[in-house]
Amino acid sequence: MVDLLIEFLSNTGFALAGYQNIIMILVGIVLIYLGIAKKYEPFLLIPIGFGILMGNIPVIRDFGLGIYEKGSFLNYMYYGVMHDIYPPLIFLGVGALTDFSAMLARPSLMLLGAAAQIGIFATFLGALALGFAPNEAASIGIIGGADGPTAIFLTAVLAPRLIGPIAIAAYSYMALVPVIQPPIMRLLTSRKERLIRMEEPREVSKREKLIFPIVGFLLCCFIAPGALPLLGMLFFGNLLKESIVAERLARAARSSIIDTVTILLGLAVGASTQGDIFLTGKSMGIFILGASAFAVATASGVIFAKFMNLFLRQKINPLIGAAGVSAVPNSARVVQIVGQKEDPTNFLLMHAMAPNISGVIGSAIAAAILWSFLGG
Amino acid sequence: MYGLDAISAHNGWQLAALGTSIVFTGLIILSLAISQIHKVLEFWDKRHTYYQRIKKLVQRKHRSEAIVSDPVLPKNVKGSVRQFKLLVEQIGEPFPLPKLLDFSEKCGFPHSHSSVNDLLQAKLIVPDGKGYFLWNHEVEKNIKI
Amino acid sequence: MPVDINTIDSLNIFEHLSRTELEELASLMSRIRVTEGEVITRQGDQAHSIFILLSGNFMVFFKEDRSYTLHNKGDIVGLSAAVLPFCYTGTAVALTDGVVLSIPGQELSRLIESNPALGGKIMEKINQIISARQPFVTGGC
Repeated sequence: MVDLLIEFLSNTGFALAGYQNIIMILVGIVLIYLGIAKKYEPFLLIPIGFGILMGNIPVIRDFGLGIYEKGSFLNYMYYGVMHDIYPPLIFLGVGALTDFSAMLARPSLMLLGAAAQIGIFATFLGALALGFAPNEAASIGIIGGADGPTAIFLTAVLAPRLIGPIAIAAYSYMALVPVIQPPIMRLLTSRKERLIRMEEPREVSKREKLIFPIVGFLLCCFIAPGALPLLGMLFFGNLLKESIVAERLARAARSSIIDTVTILLGLAVGASTQGDIFLTGKSMGIFILGASAFAVATASGVIFAKFMNLFLRQKINPLIGAAGVSAVPNSARVVQIVGQKEDPTNFLLMHAMAPNISGVIGSAIAAAILWSFLGG
Repeated sequence: MYGLDAISAHNGWQLAALGTSIVFTGLIILSLAISQIHKVLEFWDKRHTYYQRIKKLVQRKHRSEAIVSDPVLPKNVKGSVRQFKLLVEQIGEPFPLPKLLDFSEKCGFPHSHSSVNDLLQAKLIVPDGKGYFLWNHEVEKNIKI
Repeated sequence: MPVDINTIDSLNIFEHLSRTELEELASLMSRIRVTEGEVITRQGDQAHSIFILLSGNFMVFFKEDRSYTLHNKGDIVGLSAAVLPFCYTGTAVALTDGVVLSIPGQELSRLIESNPALGGKIMEKINQIISARQPFVTGGC
């Protein structure tokens, strides 16, 4: 009886936990706190934070409980991450949620979405210089795309072992957009520039909105076929939304499907961060490079907007360049807030949505390019 | 291997330059394509658009005629004029409307809110344009007549 | 109570919106009855909703007791729910019984983000109204 009790006690979490588990549990609690108390991306940080708690409960090996053990519940959830099932489904929901009219009204602003992707390639170079293998460097660079699903999508095919830290870094920085971006935006712009009012976008017809997902899909996927799963679902979701006749499907995509997948993705990614696997020097490097990827992407967008102003008759507010990093619609919201701090009657949100959405397309194309270069 | 050597060894410069160029090319092509969609559509049905515009103008005209304001006509204004005038004299002009309401409630006037509204509708109380209100003595005379 | 699109179609503030846009807006609204003396927004409170007047008469007052009154169908109260710092700058009180349409500020923000074209039109209108009322607004939240 005493032996049984001792055996039971030696199998509890208290006996099995290492210091790494404790650190990760604290990280999970911080993410949950940020999600609930600070309202930083609660839909992402709460599932990820709780996933970290689930993944860091020390369990007996080969008991069929751990996320990396075949046949476990967590492993089934993780299957969707490892086999790139969740990211395209998230894109389906994003497509069904997004109105592309801001971008259709002023397509030139799409260049800002392209400029912000410079952050991806700059970080790719930085990661190579720090000694990461090319496939790992590409997965780290994609954090600069500020698009969680895209980061997971590329990492799953190029560097599956890094999914945990990269996904956590990508989603954490996406949640911290309101903290990371404003100082960079203010540093790179003068007050006069931040006060620029942009002309009203033109009206976009329903037919344009209907034609766009088809034209957009064909063009993007002919240029970068690797983006097919992500952009295919994004544009399909948008077609459902704009067609109106399939409103029921669009509603499912933008509510129940995206919500379910977000829960599964968040929990699985969180649970994949087992302390002994996650807490490595590499992870720290990924976090530092991820932050710089974000900063460079933001700066590239803003600087490119200033560059465009050299040639444009109707000046654009360079703050909207920061929205090119995707993180829809958080970074567009940040642009609005920073702009309104200078002039409360200046509404930049709808203008910022154009680079914001094109940033999503741009980062998916960048991921496809990196995949095609390094996937073989 | 670290630093610039690592970047060169893995063709990092070429990959980054080519990658950035492809992203830019892709989005430029897409932006050019979508910037033409509306022009093509406009060209396709120009006549139809003019027809719609005229139709819209007519609809707008009808719509503006259909808008009916919902004034609440003053009732029993005379009964409250004397009491409210005394309060206004006590507060002094121009007076803040919330203060008049506050005083009238303290004095126990029944339905002080709707009474103030009646006075506003009857133009006995008029705004001074700066957020305060004045007693309209001209209208008061007419009511007495 | 859900709002019929015809109710808002006749309002001046929405005259430039298409039928689809009106439908999207109407889906966010609910109709609320207010009674004489009822406070619908209180200065300093978190701005949760915007109110559009359908009937009745209202007074909005600010610090230093400056105020203006609203008597027309389509007048708006509680615009702070759509602009920074998202807290009511004035207290709105019903002078008579009436009916208002309420739009939750968060829902409106979501709509503006998901449909920037419609958002642009709404924000432009809100901007115009705020500029017109600016002289009366004293003291912020």
